[in-house]
Amino acid sequence: MNAFTSLSKRNIAMFFKDKGMFFTSLITPAILLVLYATFLSNIYRSSFTANLPEGFSLGDSIVNGAVAGQLFSSLIAVSCITVAFCSNFLMVQDKVTGAYKDFSITPLKKSVLSYSYYVAAFLSTLTVTLFACAVCFIYVAIVGWYLSFSDILLIISDVLILTMFGTALSSVVNFFLNTQGQVSAVGAIVSAGYGFICGAYIPISQFSKGLADFVMFLPGTYGTSLIRNHCMSGVFEKMASEGVPQGAITAMRDSIDCNLYFFGTEVQGWVSYAVILGAVALFVGLYVILNLVKKKNK
Amino acid sequence: MSDIISIKNLKKTFGEVVAVDNLSFKVKEGEFFAFLGVNGAGKSTTISIMCGILKKDWGHIEIAGKNIDSDMESVINNIGVVFQSSVLDANLSVRENLFCRASLYGLGKSEAEKRIDELANAFSFKDYMSRAVGKLSGGQRRKIDVARALINNPKILILDEPTTGLDPMTRKTLWSVIDGYRNKRNMTVFLTTHYMEEASGADYVVIIDDGKIAAEGTPLQLKNAYTGDFISLYNIQEKTLKEKNIKYEKYGSALRVFVKNTAEARDLIFKYPELFTDFEIIKGGMDDVFLNVTGKKLSGGNQ
Repeated sequence: MNAFTSLSKRNIAMFFKDKGMFFTSLITPAILLVLYATFLSNIYRSSFTANLPEGFSLGDSIVNGAVAGQLFSSLIAVSCITVAFCSNFLMVQDKVTGAYKDFSITPLKKSVLSYSYYVAAFLSTLTVTLFACAVCFIYVAIVGWYLSFSDILLIISDVLILTMFGTALSSVVNFFLNTQGQVSAVGAIVSAGYGFICGAYIPISQFSKGLADFVMFLPGTYGTSLIRNHCMSGVFEKMASEGVPQGAITAMRDSIDCNLYFFGTEVQGWVSYAVILGAVALFVGLYVILNLVKKKNK
Repeated sequence: MSDIISIKNLKKTFGEVVAVDNLSFKVKEGEFFAFLGVNGAGKSTTISIMCGILKKDWGHIEIAGKNIDSDMESVINNIGVVFQSSVLDANLSVRENLFCRASLYGLGKSEAEKRIDELANAFSFKDYMSRAVGKLSGGQRRKIDVARALINNPKILILDEPTTGLDPMTRKTLWSVIDGYRNKRNMTVFLTTHYMEEASGADYVVIIDDGKIAAEGTPLQLKNAYTGDFISLYNIQEKTLKEKNIKYEKYGSALRVFVKNTAEARDLIFKYPELFTDFEIIKGGMDDVFLNVTGKKLSGGNQ
């Protein structure tokens, strides 16, 4: 069997068989669900109803569909990153357990090992996030379905792009880690912090101006916005058809980061794609360079 | 026998610390070679350099006729390493682990399966091929570690303290398996250990201390050079020895007399035959050699 395929299979099996690693990767989505069950759903709900013209009301199905769409997008936006980090921690654990040393005394090229980590982390993350996506689709179908077929395809493509981004980012960060302590520290920071800075827990529109401007420099923000747009475009179209004024819809889209503003200028959809894909290319390139430099200095 | 490992003037430093200091030795093909030293003496550093895990500062290493600087890939194909602790994936089964490692040497599926079955028969682990490595006993796991080191059919098996932490029975079983395999294949075994009785079975021993060779030779040569013989006398009164001015120590039910060598023991028997009604003469062990050479004591994995 080809060494790359064999290693990738091994890395994927290691992630799914290591219950600690697997369940740790689900902490952030779990936190989000707890927050949603306790108070976030009310915040989400009020962010829609507050922007409706006075005396205007919407059916439960539309509001529920909008709230579910926001939860859906938040959940997937954080999962693509945190699951990628956790599955990619294997490259550090291999250093800790000595497996990396074992690989070093074989004719295996270091580049093959590095790429196997990337591909395995990508596929493991994609498996989890697509499964989460399927669960979310079912939930949305139950509470209020307004998604078109193209929305579904766009959401799946967002998951692919965000998973690539999460894998590339985690590959670069994890490259520098060598101990279990460092893994725990980075894992805790990413799990606790990423949901906030990408606008998954609280919309960026509710941040202070300085913080809101800062997070606009982070590529993950654009990924969250893309998936949110695709999760909610059907709901907003339905609202428009129900007679909700365009101004009110724009206010709603602003309040939940469907519309992003970079120092006051609205960010177009293609720009969001360019930023997130550019970030993927940048981090993958960086990962390749880091591995080349490491090989040279060995 | 030709030299399969040749190390000349090897030097490695970590900052101010000199881990390996101008080390030179040779290992013959098919030999059981023991490389001894306390923790931090430079054993693992030397092994890491031989395997290409660490870069040397100075020196020349040839393994199986290949220079490690110019042809590390050939060198790597000729060695198998059992590390101090198991480096296999605890959550994966024995078969998955061995299969994955086999693929890293370019073995195809059928070739790998054949090799794994061969090793499973040789090491008798067919019964737990599907069990996760993390769920095996210490002895079973060590067997798999050795099987993994042999997956590429290497000419040299490097064992870095392979039996540390194992009970005597498991150690014995493991050694019988390794010895059987070695004899059948004329494989060279390069061993580092803290158990001196394991080293006493070696063809050649090198003792290093602070990165330098402190002594080398066959176990017999080392015992003759660095330790003496012990005569245990039974059913003898202490005052009898005192009267004859013979130095002794109490050793269980016996009185033990130290002599420099077997010739001195023989002279003592001829001089005082009345003392030797019930006695035994035992050569000093490798523990004594090690203690006398380095001034440091090794015992069961702990210094």
